[in-house]
Amino acid sequence: MRRRLFSLLAVVLAFGAIASACGSDDSSNEVKAAFIYVGPPGDAGWTWAHDQGRVAAAEATGVETAFVESVPEGTADFANHARDFIDQGFNVIVGTSFGYMDDMLALAEEYPDVVFEHVSGYKNNDTNFGNSFGRMYEPRYLSGMVAGAMTESNLLGYVAAFPIPEVIRGINAFTLGAQATNPDVLVEVVWTSTWFDPAVEGDSAQALLDKGADVIAMHQDSTAAGEKAEAAGARWVSYNSDMSAFAPTAFLTAPVWNWGPRYIDTITQAQEGTYTGGSYWGSMADGIVDLAPIASDVPGDVVAEVADAKQAIIDGELHVFAGPITAQDGSVMVAAGETMDDGSMLGMGAFVEGVIGSTG
Amino acid sequence: MTRLVLVRREQVLKGGQPLAFLIGLVFAMLIGVVLLLISGHDPLAIYGRMVEASLGSPRAWSITLNRAVPLGLAGLAVAVAGSMGLWNIGAEGQILAGAMMAAWVARLGEGWASPLLITAMLVAAVVGGALLASGPAVARAQIGVNEIITTLMLNEVALRLLQWLIHGSWKDPESRGFPLAPMLPDEARLPGLFERAHWGAVIALGVIALFGLVASRTAWGYELRVAGSSGATARYAGISLKRKITTVLILSGGIAGLAGGIELSGNADRITEGISAGYGFAGIIVAALALLRPSGVAAVALLFGAVQVGGLSIQTMGVSSSVSTILQAFILFGAIGAGVFSRYAVRRVNNDKTSSES
Repeated sequence: MRRRLFSLLAVVLAFGAIASACGSDDSSNEVKAAFIYVGPPGDAGWTWAHDQGRVAAAEATGVETAFVESVPEGTADFANHARDFIDQGFNVIVGTSFGYMDDMLALAEEYPDVVFEHVSGYKNNDTNFGNSFGRMYEPRYLSGMVAGAMTESNLLGYVAAFPIPEVIRGINAFTLGAQATNPDVLVEVVWTSTWFDPAVEGDSAQALLDKGADVIAMHQDSTAAGEKAEAAGARWVSYNSDMSAFAPTAFLTAPVWNWGPRYIDTITQAQEGTYTGGSYWGSMADGIVDLAPIASDVPGDVVAEVADAKQAIIDGELHVFAGPITAQDGSVMVAAGETMDDGSMLGMGAFVEGVIGSTG
Repeated sequence: MTRLVLVRREQVLKGGQPLAFLIGLVFAMLIGVVLLLISGHDPLAIYGRMVEASLGSPRAWSITLNRAVPLGLAGLAVAVAGSMGLWNIGAEGQILAGAMMAAWVARLGEGWASPLLITAMLVAAVVGGALLASGPAVARAQIGVNEIITTLMLNEVALRLLQWLIHGSWKDPESRGFPLAPMLPDEARLPGLFERAHWGAVIALGVIALFGLVASRTAWGYELRVAGSSGATARYAGISLKRKITTVLILSGGIAGLAGGIELSGNADRITEGISAGYGFAGIIVAALALLRPSGVAAVALLFGAVQVGGLSIQTMGVSSSVSTILQAFILFGAIGAGVFSRYAVRRVNNDKTSSES
């Protein structure tokens, strides 16, 4: 554990050194993109995925990029960093956490010539402030299919962050996917009220393992749940990135982010002057979300079934929230023959049948 | 066998505190140079940027001042308790409690005139912080429950309460299911002073000066210092220790609560879990650096604020937050460590049988 902390620190230091090697001369029309992260790129999860996107965008477009890490939400820090960057000539600001939303809206009005791209919020304008996110429920569904096929106890554990629509949507999609390969499966949810707290997330996973869950899925940024699953001889569906290195035996697969394409688009549009803000909710077809490679011991027919479902989702033939879907309380969530619209999905507040736990 | 020990000086070195402070600062910055060179940065450019971003322009000053306000008030809160030998480790939670009460008043006082609403919010913030501190205060005064433990644990309680409100009854119906409190109305925002600075700096300085005066010029302040240095003397002099402990801890909580109210009204768009960026814990360092003297709190808070703002700003030059945090810690440790040497001397002692601890 400690050794890993040190190696993470080394990675962080290395990134800092690389970023500092960049010059700071600017000419009038040049695009420079600054990324403001909520965690460290060394977290192997959420921020790591965004930083991979930044690197990909820098390589593809050739623009100068820079980042700051571990910027807390709800304080004056975000706006101070953004102003610092703008003073240095950066004209694309990417903020990768929900809590930056209000600051970005205000800054977008103050600096109409700067492009502000916000990840995971819901506010935007039609000139220089856009928000983007991915339909993570698509690969979540696929990961549920794998988990459902691999469980022997028919109880899947889900260590979840906060009862917000994004997380609830993920749990529901995972559950529907699991039911697609195993009609008897149940998914039990534990809330941690954390995004990154390895101790709490590990304990919560352990509680689910103790209850008999033999596959643990998660929606936070640490790898703690996987380590508990590995120790217990159970299986693990990680999140954000392919975390197989952290629990090689337990790891089954993971719904993952791929931000490169989106950031390339944002920067290219800024260069061409065609950025128009608005809302982007990218799908597996766009490549912004995907399923990590499936563990080699998963039976071939399951892998094939998942691959078929993936293709069907990409082709638009399979929709995760297509009816009939029954809610946890027995009411009709989606009627047969209907498909949930984006607005309802973005505001999802109730579990589907088969989930144990409450959204309160 | 000989070993080195710290021995309290008979007299604090003349002019020692500011001098030691400077020496410590320079020493720490030299270590920082090594750190920056190792991590591949130009130390001169980095230090230049730190100074530039924190003190180099009116805007830089305004950002530093805004940062110094919660640090100063949290530092004062800890120092007030510390002057009686009590440790309030719960300033972080009291800041949240203050912010929660202020946010609550902002909800109730919709449509009130701005000066009235802001005053009510700040008063409520004081009450909020004081309320959270009142439990530990009474428990400590009446039955001797260790206030370090109780105040520390209440930090978690305050945070969970805030989460519960944001995820529950305070959730903005327009936030599409996201756990967000509604935006504060414009009437609830503290007016600006200059650039990005708000009136919180004036309020904080006023409170710190007021407490400095009360502590040094009134009988109450005198009794406080007596009670702080020796409980037995205080009892002999007829000072009620129980009452002193209760008032001081509640006062301490109220001051921290005020910081929460000012943060909400001055810096935030709405109340969030991130309303305090660890100011309550940083306040402990501020108070320690200021040797628990209110007079020192303002100066230390300003320096602390400048170091934090400078440290944050060099991150946009590619310095990682870890290196920046280590650098900030060095500078503050350097200043604290040097402060120790102005009050203690290093002595070599023979350590045969009469070994003396502490």
